[in-house]
Amino acid sequence: MVSTLKVSIWSAGVLLAGQLLAGCASDSSDSTASAPSQGGSAEQIVLAIGGESSEGYDPTLGWGRYGSPLFQSTLLRRDQDLNIVNDLATGYTVSDDRRTWTVTIRQDAQFSDGEPLTAADVAYTFNKAAESGGLTDVTALEEAVATDDYTVELRLKQPQSAFVNRLITLGIVPQHAHGPDYARNPVGSGPYQMVQWDEGQQLIVEANPNYYGEAPGIQRLVFLFTEEDAAFAAARAGQAQVVSVPQSLAVQSLSGMKLYDVASVDNRGLMFPYPPPTGQTTPDGRPIGNPVTSDLAIRQAVNYAVDRQALVEGVLEGYGSPAYGPVSGLAWEEPRANIEDAQPEQARQILAEGGWSDTNGDGIVEKAGQRAEFTLLYPASDSTRQALALSVAEMLRPVGIQINVEGKSWDEITPRVHSDAVLFGWGSHDQSEMYNLYHSKAAQGAFYNAGYYANEAIDRTLDLAMGAPSEAEAIAFWQAAQWDGEQGFTAKGDAAWAWLVNLNHTYFVSECLDIGQPQVEPHGHGWPITANIAEWTWTCS
Amino acid sequence: MQLRPILIFLSRKLVRLALLLLAVAVMTFVLLSLSPIDPVQAYIGADMLQISPEQRELIAQRWGLDQPMLGRFGDWLGQLVQGNWGTSMVFNQPVAQVINQRFQVSLQLLAIAWLISGLLGLGLGVLAGAFEGTWIDRGIRLYAYTLASSPTFWVALLLLIFFSVSLRVTPICCAAPPGVLSQNVTFWQHLHHLLLPAITLSIIGVANIALHTRQKLIEVLSSDYVLFARAQGETLGGILKHHGLRNILLPALTLQFASLSELFGGSVLVEQVFAYPGLGEATVQAALRSDVPLLVGIVFFSALFVYSGNTLADLAYQVIDPRIRLGGRGAA
Repeated sequence: MVSTLKVSIWSAGVLLAGQLLAGCASDSSDSTASAPSQGGSAEQIVLAIGGESSEGYDPTLGWGRYGSPLFQSTLLRRDQDLNIVNDLATGYTVSDDRRTWTVTIRQDAQFSDGEPLTAADVAYTFNKAAESGGLTDVTALEEAVATDDYTVELRLKQPQSAFVNRLITLGIVPQHAHGPDYARNPVGSGPYQMVQWDEGQQLIVEANPNYYGEAPGIQRLVFLFTEEDAAFAAARAGQAQVVSVPQSLAVQSLSGMKLYDVASVDNRGLMFPYPPPTGQTTPDGRPIGNPVTSDLAIRQAVNYAVDRQALVEGVLEGYGSPAYGPVSGLAWEEPRANIEDAQPEQARQILAEGGWSDTNGDGIVEKAGQRAEFTLLYPASDSTRQALALSVAEMLRPVGIQINVEGKSWDEITPRVHSDAVLFGWGSHDQSEMYNLYHSKAAQGAFYNAGYYANEAIDRTLDLAMGAPSEAEAIAFWQAAQWDGEQGFTAKGDAAWAWLVNLNHTYFVSECLDIGQPQVEPHGHGWPITANIAEWTWTCS
Repeated sequence: MQLRPILIFLSRKLVRLALLLLAVAVMTFVLLSLSPIDPVQAYIGADMLQISPEQRELIAQRWGLDQPMLGRFGDWLGQLVQGNWGTSMVFNQPVAQVINQRFQVSLQLLAIAWLISGLLGLGLGVLAGAFEGTWIDRGIRLYAYTLASSPTFWVALLLLIFFSVSLRVTPICCAAPPGVLSQNVTFWQHLHHLLLPAITLSIIGVANIALHTRQKLIEVLSSDYVLFARAQGETLGGILKHHGLRNILLPALTLQFASLSELFGGSVLVEQVFAYPGLGEATVQAALRSDVPLLVGIVFFSALFVYSGNTLADLAYQVIDPRIRLGGRGAA
């Protein structure tokens, strides 16, 4: 969320100048004077999709945490429908007390240096990741033990059904070749192996001849690490075959390239501080609570008044979908939690029933001397969030709620997240995110449950989900926490957030490249589109 | 030339340099401790909801961020004495190694830009000064003023769009063609990729040097001794050769060495635009993510770089101008 600061002047500059010069460019495009055979082939394609891991490619430090570590393979993985399927594992069981996961692994797996991959490597990887201060969180693990060459036991501190996501995302590293230099010279059992990494510039990888799965369709991949604007320029110059672009550039057309508009759970929503301000503060002394958004009628009115489809069309250029909860499109979404929105009449009625009315005729409703007015913060560097925030404020004014929109830096927003509404963006295949957004115990003064939402019944349901023996059995509980017909944290229930939209990720892909059916992608950073990269094929000769 | 004055000169320079570096280190630490950027938060970035407080603690421990700034400064200073510059958070690599790798890439860029801007600047300045008031002078001044007031990155973008996207004569990014292994990159490919960033950097450096040279030459040309030479029938070429160049070389050289700092700053922006993976690009990353050891390392390094530039200029004076004697006037 915070990591990429974009210099939007650059984008504007490239766009403007690009359009100015587009006229003279189109005529001369067939003069391939300098482009040395950059057309792409089954031998080699060039991808400009950002996401360089400047720290290196060590899974125990967080590389591949979005589930496609490329150089390494994982015990399990998610297929295109996000079902969990075996990868390195041949199966797994969870003990009755749900604290011991026993995984059996395939016996034909080798690392790219030819060494066999055994249970000892798996145990080493999990233990190492648990003690490393990196970007993958394996703190739930007590210890991992290899009980024989091809069986490993993962012993947890407490039951955690979402732990399966670590089996899906943590790439297995070789115990014999792992050390401080590993991040720059990864050795793994994944479909590709590293050939050369020019930091800040490009990464060249080639198919791993020792890969146990089907050989990848493209022999060599080149990842270019350029700014978004330069990536777009590279696509226009015919030098890249897969390019991720911001929605604002997706409306353009590039010859020889197709636009892929991939659904995601990369969502944007409005977080409300839940309790009223009672002088309570976080451990750091930051204030908690808001006198207006603590009122259920206000939160529900916002949810019903917002026209989400209009936001998709107006702000996202149509590349997105309405969001009514945090997990749109995933198996654990509760469809009954969806509401019919864009209903200012209903919003007004909710406000009236909640005791809010416009007594002084200024167009804004009041209740017990309190005006229905609150501040909405958004990161000023993000133009999409700015447009969403302004549009929502615009949509709520006729209903009688005044939203004051303020763009700030994250460093200024952070201390205020517990007492002002904030336009956040999340979205993950890992259910613990939902748990951390809504469980009252997660509220500790940071970004976990920043609004201090608290509902004991929801807490119990979330705990049941986390304690369930498997993801499949947890789904019913995850859904019930959203809306079980009587209560939930979504709009019909406590309306703890007003979720607005899911972004679609937009890519230009060469017409000659078949990238299969992409998954519903998580929050943008990383390389979500590479999840099935081993299955990509070049269709032109 | 005596040895003693040079030794005194050099030792004074070294003491000054040591003091400068200490001040730079203290300032960087103080500024960063006042900065609102939380390095742990900056490291975690978008993964906030999947990193538990326990994991956050592990991260802080790994980088020593659980210590107060004063303690970290002490640790860092202790390491530095042993020749260890610390470890970069962003690159998970020793700082010295990062700077070494990155600077090798930047160096070629800086060197070419420095040479082109120096020679071109001097040439244009002489031309404008010699033909003061003519259309040549006006043309050169227009060029210099326009470039002096253009933001570097904007010029870089315009050139990129024109030469790379529209005309397709220069590459779109990077220090080598995409997908080519480093051992297969030819000298010409290398130069080809260096060309546009180096030109961008130098055409901006030209303006400053050209304007100063022009001014100095006009001064020289209106002096009494030039009048005397003219009266004796010396041609313009002869005047330039015998009086002009000798007198303007000194200020031009000072400027040329002083411009190292500007070049260094300009390269930060240019490298961003061309995805040229040099030190400039690393600087931006270090600052945005509050990577203290790397940032201090780079600041250190750039201070050294600029300082040596200025010292070289000082030393060059006595080689060019016999009137300047180190022993006679003390240092600098």
